[in-house]
Amino acid sequence: MAAVPKEKPSRVDEARAEFARYKADVKARGKPFYPYAMFHDTIMSVFVVTVIVLLAAIWKWSSWGPGHDPTHKGLLGPTVDPPADPGTTSFVPRPDWYFYFLFYLLRIFKWPESVFLGTVGVPTIALVLLIMLPFLDRRRARRPSARPVAMVAAVLTIISMGVLTWKGATAQEALASEVVQQVPHLIQVEHLPPAAQPGVKLFATAGCTACHTYAGVGGSNLGAPDLTAIGTRHLGIATQIKHLQNPSSVTPGSPMPSFASLGPQRLHQLAVFLEASKGTH
Amino acid sequence: MEPEQPSPDTEQESLHEEAHLPPPTFWPIGFAIGIVVVLVGLVINPELISSIGAVIAIVFGFLWARDATAELRGQTLVVEPERRQLKEAGEGMTAPPADQQGVALPRVDPATVTRSRFLEGATLGLGGVIGGLITVPVAGFALLPSFLDQKQHKVDLGPLSNFPLSQWFVTTFVVDPAEGEVSRRTAFIRNNGNVADPKTKKQVPSFTIISNHCAHLGCPVQANGPTGAILGQKTIHERTANGPVTLDPVVPAGYGCPCHGGQYDTEGNRTAGPPVRALDRYSFEIDKGRLILLSTYSVSHVVGTGAQAKIYRYKEAGPGEHVDGPEQWFYPLQPPHH
Amino acid sequence: MAVRRKPTRAEIRRQRMEELINFPLDWLEERSGLIGGVRYFLFRNVPSDINWMQTLGSAALTAFLVQAITGVILAMYYVPSAATDPHTGKPVAWESIVNISDNLFMGWLVRGMHRWGASVFIILMFLHMGRVFLFGAYKYPRELNWIIGVLILVMGMMEGFTGYLLPWDQTAYWATVVGINLNGTAPFLGPWLAQFLRGGQEISGETLTRFYSLHMLLIPGAIIALIGLHLYLVIRLGVTSPPWSKEAAGMEPDEEEPARLRPGLTRPVPRPAGASAMQAEPGGRE
Repeated sequence: MAAVPKEKPSRVDEARAEFARYKADVKARGKPFYPYAMFHDTIMSVFVVTVIVLLAAIWKWSSWGPGHDPTHKGLLGPTVDPPADPGTTSFVPRPDWYFYFLFYLLRIFKWPESVFLGTVGVPTIALVLLIMLPFLDRRRARRPSARPVAMVAAVLTIISMGVLTWKGATAQEALASEVVQQVPHLIQVEHLPPAAQPGVKLFATAGCTACHTYAGVGGSNLGAPDLTAIGTRHLGIATQIKHLQNPSSVTPGSPMPSFASLGPQRLHQLAVFLEASKGTH
Repeated sequence: MEPEQPSPDTEQESLHEEAHLPPPTFWPIGFAIGIVVVLVGLVINPELISSIGAVIAIVFGFLWARDATAELRGQTLVVEPERRQLKEAGEGMTAPPADQQGVALPRVDPATVTRSRFLEGATLGLGGVIGGLITVPVAGFALLPSFLDQKQHKVDLGPLSNFPLSQWFVTTFVVDPAEGEVSRRTAFIRNNGNVADPKTKKQVPSFTIISNHCAHLGCPVQANGPTGAILGQKTIHERTANGPVTLDPVVPAGYGCPCHGGQYDTEGNRTAGPPVRALDRYSFEIDKGRLILLSTYSVSHVVGTGAQAKIYRYKEAGPGEHVDGPEQWFYPLQPPHH
Repeated sequence: MAVRRKPTRAEIRRQRMEELINFPLDWLEERSGLIGGVRYFLFRNVPSDINWMQTLGSAALTAFLVQAITGVILAMYYVPSAATDPHTGKPVAWESIVNISDNLFMGWLVRGMHRWGASVFIILMFLHMGRVFLFGAYKYPRELNWIIGVLILVMGMMEGFTGYLLPWDQTAYWATVVGINLNGTAPFLGPWLAQFLRGGQEISGETLTRFYSLHMLLIPGAIIALIGLHLYLVIRLGVTSPPWSKEAAGMEPDEEEPARLRPGLTRPVPRPAGASAMQAEPGGRE
């Protein structure tokens, strides 16, 4: 663009002039809201109400399990949950799905000193940025191709919120109450002999799956190895028991806590189970 | 007499008015009251009250009729039509300039307190007082009850014989039977045996009683270990003054939280994850050979185990609130707890 | 001007019908001025190139209306009490929800619509916000409208949070425990705010009634007021054209730099002149 000798009008003045042009354009070339725009709005509203009614119907009819048991999980979850029990030790709390991104944020900030960042720090900053957006972006450009920073920020925000929401939805802790239900499946896929079965129940409820993965069950934490085929290493019952009683004596520097409190009989059952775990085939 | 007619629009109307309309009077009101008293008296006390009402109605009706027929009897009446006085520009008021459409602000000589300023002040002041009289009690009602009357509850968990030595139990109880199920709570309890009280040197029972509310955000903490069903031990059901108490034996290697991955050891110390301190504990007393739970307190960490544990205790804080370290200064003042 | 001939019977009937309809409208207009406002709203001009994405705002409003109506109906049968029913041993609030779902005629539909309408409402608000961002419609003079919109979004999520507790089942109870404790971790005032929300030191029946009051009265009132302001500003400031539109309202005549033009075009697309190029019916008052 050639340099123009006259004074450049301020951004606010330009914006006001554009708005004045906008109003003149709409007056001259615009269409009346009714019926043109209102027609589109009406169609969209009908669509929205239809979707809501359909969701309600699917929720009801797909959760109509055998014998009309409303706690049966249908396509959209059960229509009835057990009543509130403040003394439960087997429930896994989760918020409504549109809070999953905040929920997963709390799982990311695992260090105690950073907790308040995840609970109030990051959400507050995000909200402030959102509210202040018109004051942070004062440029007049409105076409997406002329707003690279805005477009990149938007794409990053959408992707990160999507990822956080999805990870929040799939997060599991693999604590006793969840894993114990998988025991029959584990016995089947690992072909565990009857002598190993008391041990698999102990394994499922003693909290091992909080750090170890086993045949697709459990969470991976603190570098704990996968135990699906631990029996193929032929460590022997004695070593297994010694390790369970005092992990750092077998693996120096191990963060695994001691399970000696289970008692020698149960430790033996666990060791038998571990030695019988030859992998899923 | 209070004029009751509308102000006349045209000259003609006003002439007509003065000639034909009856004068304004109060008597119809009295007449109406009399009729109402008659009707009410019919319901309450026909002899006395209806008679009074009838007398009132007759008297006022007579007076009304007398006024209404005044001109028929030749008495002339002069009725003042309602006219509004145009107020002269009062002191302090200036006419708005011709080009301005807004309200002109009164320019007042600040040396004198004029009547309008007094009225302004009085209106605002009285308005403030009335607003305060209404708002303050209501605001108090909205805000204060959450913080006052936090009752301490004692929970009877049953005889000590239910708690064999060194056995952990997942204990479920109801804190306040009046509130019902909503005050059901869970604690992990172990009888540590007897220990010498440092002050009295007598042998007193020692219990480790850990609350199952996670110190991160309050989720229900689970025991990492097999419970009675897998151990082949029976759950003890006890019924006390607090309602049903359930004791489920468990062999925990630690405790874990299903929400965000917090892990604790058997003394409640945090071993992994986001919890900001150790699990809260219940203080307790032994009354007539029964275990009684008192209030909860917060713990930053515990050194040692069982009866020899040294518990670093603090006043109860909410989940996620640090009780030691630099972050404790974020929470200098706790709301009233029991 | 056409020559006046005798009106046909159909025309007379139509004229009478118009008078019949106009009479109450004129009566209202003279006494309140509202009909003029409604007329302005309905017949105002909007840019001729607006796009389907711009229906998301009114779609969100529809979802909110669905929530409001189903919510009012549910409130006639729902009981906000955490006390235990002595006959069944279950909480009264939980039972009232089961009663609505199982026993009342079409109760399952109203409850289902309310529950899923909440998710649809929040999704539509986010989509609408994204559309406004994409169009750059938060810039002058619509900054205030954007701020109001963000406040509506926050209020909507708070409405979802308070409503989540009302069925008083396990998911409701524990999600609320965590949510309130989240607020409690805010420095200085956090513990006080958390105790106020809970109505005490622990979650109890007080929490349920408190959340019911917030969910039914305070937050919907705030949302309705904010939506009213939001709509007023939309009507006053107008709806933007899609920014990539060739005939965007308000576009500068020589805005396009030569580099942006497609090869082959030597001059920017001329703006159509006034009413002759497009069917411009007389628009609303400006």
